[in-house]
Amino acid sequence: MTAETLSPTRERSPLNNRLRAMMTQENLITFVVAIIVAGAVIVPLAVLFVSSFKVLDPLGWDTTWGFGNYVEIVTDRIIPKAFLNTLIISSGSTVLATFLGVSLAWINARTNCPGRDYLEPYNLIPFFLSPFIGAIAWHNLGEPQTGLLNNWARQIFGIEGAIINVDNIWGVIWVTGIFFAPLVYLFVVGSLRRMDPSLEDSARTTGAGLVRTTMTVTLPLVMPGILSGAIIVFVTSAGEFGVPFKLSAPYGWETLTTQIFSKAVGDDANHFLGAAMSMALGVITVFLIWVQQRYIAPRSFTTVTGKGFRPNVLDLGRWRWLAFAYNLMFIAVAVVLPIVCLIIVSLHPVWTGKIVWADLTTINYVKTLFWWRPDAIAAATNGIANSLILAFGGASIAMVMALVISYMIHRTKGFGVRMLDFLSVVPIGFPGIVLAMGVLVTYIQTPIYATLWILMLAYITRFFPYGQRNISSIMLAISEELDQSSRMAGASWFTTLWRITIPLLKPGLFAGWILLFIIFLRELSISIILFTTGTETLSVGVYYLTNFENEPLTAALSMAQTVLLLIAIYAFRRFAGREALTA
Amino acid sequence: MTTETIDAYLQVDNLVKYFGNDKAVDDISFGIPEGAFLTLLGPSGCGKTTTLMSVAGLHSIDGGRIKVGDTVFTSPKEGLFLPPEKRDIGMVFQSYAIWPHMTVAENVAYPLEIRKMQQSEIDDRVSEVLKLVGLTDETDKLATNLSGGQQQRASLARAIVSNPRLLLFDEPLSNLDLKLREQMRVELKRIQNEVGITAIYVTHDQAEALVMSDEIIVMSKGKIEQRGGPLEIYSRPVNEYVSNFIGVANLLKGKVIEVNEPGQGVFELAQGGKKVKMPCLLSPGISAGEDAVLSVRPENVHAVREKDDSTSLEGEVTFAIFLGSHVDCRVQWGDFEWKVIAHPRTKLKAGEKVYLSFDPEHTLAVQP
Repeated sequence: MTAETLSPTRERSPLNNRLRAMMTQENLITFVVAIIVAGAVIVPLAVLFVSSFKVLDPLGWDTTWGFGNYVEIVTDRIIPKAFLNTLIISSGSTVLATFLGVSLAWINARTNCPGRDYLEPYNLIPFFLSPFIGAIAWHNLGEPQTGLLNNWARQIFGIEGAIINVDNIWGVIWVTGIFFAPLVYLFVVGSLRRMDPSLEDSARTTGAGLVRTTMTVTLPLVMPGILSGAIIVFVTSAGEFGVPFKLSAPYGWETLTTQIFSKAVGDDANHFLGAAMSMALGVITVFLIWVQQRYIAPRSFTTVTGKGFRPNVLDLGRWRWLAFAYNLMFIAVAVVLPIVCLIIVSLHPVWTGKIVWADLTTINYVKTLFWWRPDAIAAATNGIANSLILAFGGASIAMVMALVISYMIHRTKGFGVRMLDFLSVVPIGFPGIVLAMGVLVTYIQTPIYATLWILMLAYITRFFPYGQRNISSIMLAISEELDQSSRMAGASWFTTLWRITIPLLKPGLFAGWILLFIIFLRELSISIILFTTGTETLSVGVYYLTNFENEPLTAALSMAQTVLLLIAIYAFRRFAGREALTA
Repeated sequence: MTTETIDAYLQVDNLVKYFGNDKAVDDISFGIPEGAFLTLLGPSGCGKTTTLMSVAGLHSIDGGRIKVGDTVFTSPKEGLFLPPEKRDIGMVFQSYAIWPHMTVAENVAYPLEIRKMQQSEIDDRVSEVLKLVGLTDETDKLATNLSGGQQQRASLARAIVSNPRLLLFDEPLSNLDLKLREQMRVELKRIQNEVGITAIYVTHDQAEALVMSDEIIVMSKGKIEQRGGPLEIYSRPVNEYVSNFIGVANLLKGKVIEVNEPGQGVFELAQGGKKVKMPCLLSPGISAGEDAVLSVRPENVHAVREKDDSTSLEGEVTFAIFLGSHVDCRVQWGDFEWKVIAHPRTKLKAGEKVYLSFDPEHTLAVQP
């Protein structure tokens, strides 16, 4: 009897046998995907980090290693102010979005406000539309001279000057706040709906009134959701490029993102300074996302019961009409007014702030949509075609990746799985513009630069986690035994995936696909860094028109994008559940 | 150390499985003949499900060898691992794992489609099996519209439809209510018998194990505690763990002081300062002078009002509950409380003084 049989340990077979045993369909595919994901996520961030220490000499010929870029961030005339503006804008829009999101979620989930079931989808629409388009619309609503609202105020009430002006830092906060309110809404509404009503009832029986109960019981219970939503809004606002670019940068309020854009992509481009600024922005956002993922998100399920009962709602009495009016106001300023304004502006040859019925024309749509016409604007027509290619192709590739990654995370065990789980969170921590800078400095000297492929690569790297979460949430809900029983029935891993796993995941796959389709169709802050002539996207087309053409042309292309997005939103509502939204 | 059963159909040798640094299964070996119904019984975490999954091939193993007939399923030493789909096994899962996007018939037909059988053959075979499990009327229902018991039957039909060489059950009845569970025990056993398939059944429910099995393996902490037929496991447990896990037993610490004939001896109880000697049976491997545990089933303790030669202990009834066919009593003796099942006609009442007697044939000294 040998020592080995006395104390059995992990037996080792000859190396070639072990290798052959590892060469299964499952292991090969998952290994390949793991390498791709690691390369896509880690390489650009690593190159970005290294590049931020390359200092360009004053003539722009050569680089030396050092902390020069970081010194410049602190000593530059504009960058420190831009940094401060970013903090003010992010804080302000977080406060506004949180207030709007929580109050609207509470009204819809916990009160007897009239028409709740009809209002909810409209509350969520801004989440899918482009904040950049929102900024363009609000510019045309609230500009002191040509703003539609200001003109109406002068005509109807006969006042002098302007009632509002959105071309400043407050306008940025206003637009960012209303467009990101649905993010907070989505983080909170689920917990509010599932909350055990006896928690509130027991507070009421102790003599606490409606307001007191809401403030001391209801809201504290959903605090993790509120905090998660607030952090996501802060991070998203800090990385938002379109809104400050349209509303504040031209009027002297630069932000980090507009500075990254003008320093790294302008004529005297300094990628390395841009890399350092991206690092500064990325460190802040990664830290906040880390706090949210590590400490706040795990607590959000501990406060609610898992039972599927419909809690009884609070009777607001006459106040319910106030709640109803409040909700309608939100939909008006976030959805209806901007779209109406864009339609009006887009039908004028030039926009002066007044509706001139005699001048109405469709020439702006002709110039931006009819690519075969000689007077078509290439940036606009290219943008539509490229964005559709990127949205269809990118969403499809990203969902295949997301499927394999989710499968690995939830159905296999081992070292690679934890790394993949980590890699699927990392991109969420980096604003698109930061990741795009990483992709730019990594691939600028490769053949994929100046092609759609570099955009597709950056889109997928930044956003595949959203698709992955859609699949994972369903995969967690379906038992692993459903897969295993297929293997036991004699089906191979691939057959099982094809005939059992994918059909069961279909709702999640579809929801994730449309979500990514929507995100890619409106994407701006990655595209603006990586596009070149010929690879403009829809939002870049809008950027081009607003920068080099006029407002009516901009409004026309904005409307085209909005209509595409609304169709996609309708499909999303139709085929995917409400739960599929929570990012 | 291999316990080779001569005509074993399924042979598991020295199976070892780690999860991280924990040994979930620690060097166990067993074999079963063709057509037998073997139950792996134990509390959660004892390694029974891990053993089953190892046979199924749903995870790799870290040591040992599993073989069915002439086919080696897995043997890490030789670098052999047959993927689960090549093992030709039917399996019934705890959650039934009926695919919700298919009808009952589609679920059951799946293994045959995978084996690329003719459609007409598939149809015949599916209706034959559905008849066997009693689901003829539910053929075209979606799986989500079935009751728990019906899902159970559909799952069984799917597992046996391709005539696999082995049938595995992973706690299949634990999600059913008590009445249905009792009914399904008998059903499962009947169908297994009718098909004549070799089966391994995993459960933590001792009643299930006793009712259904030809043989039971009691496991704890990744090791086999005892293997035997239901009657043997119940009436001759080899150690305190098995006595306690199967049924109810009075367990008292003490020492074996004499060994008379092989397998018989005298046990000395030490309780409350008193020492009492009792003739008993010895479980294998116990010799004179060793610490042991006395195990007596409640139905084998006799309580009478009159003292005579056969009685050895004197105690007081602390409570007696009439349960129709029997009376469930507790008898306080020193600081030990005996569980006693008495016949209703003894009419024992709480507070009475009684004398306990024991039958040496049903009094066991087992390993601690």
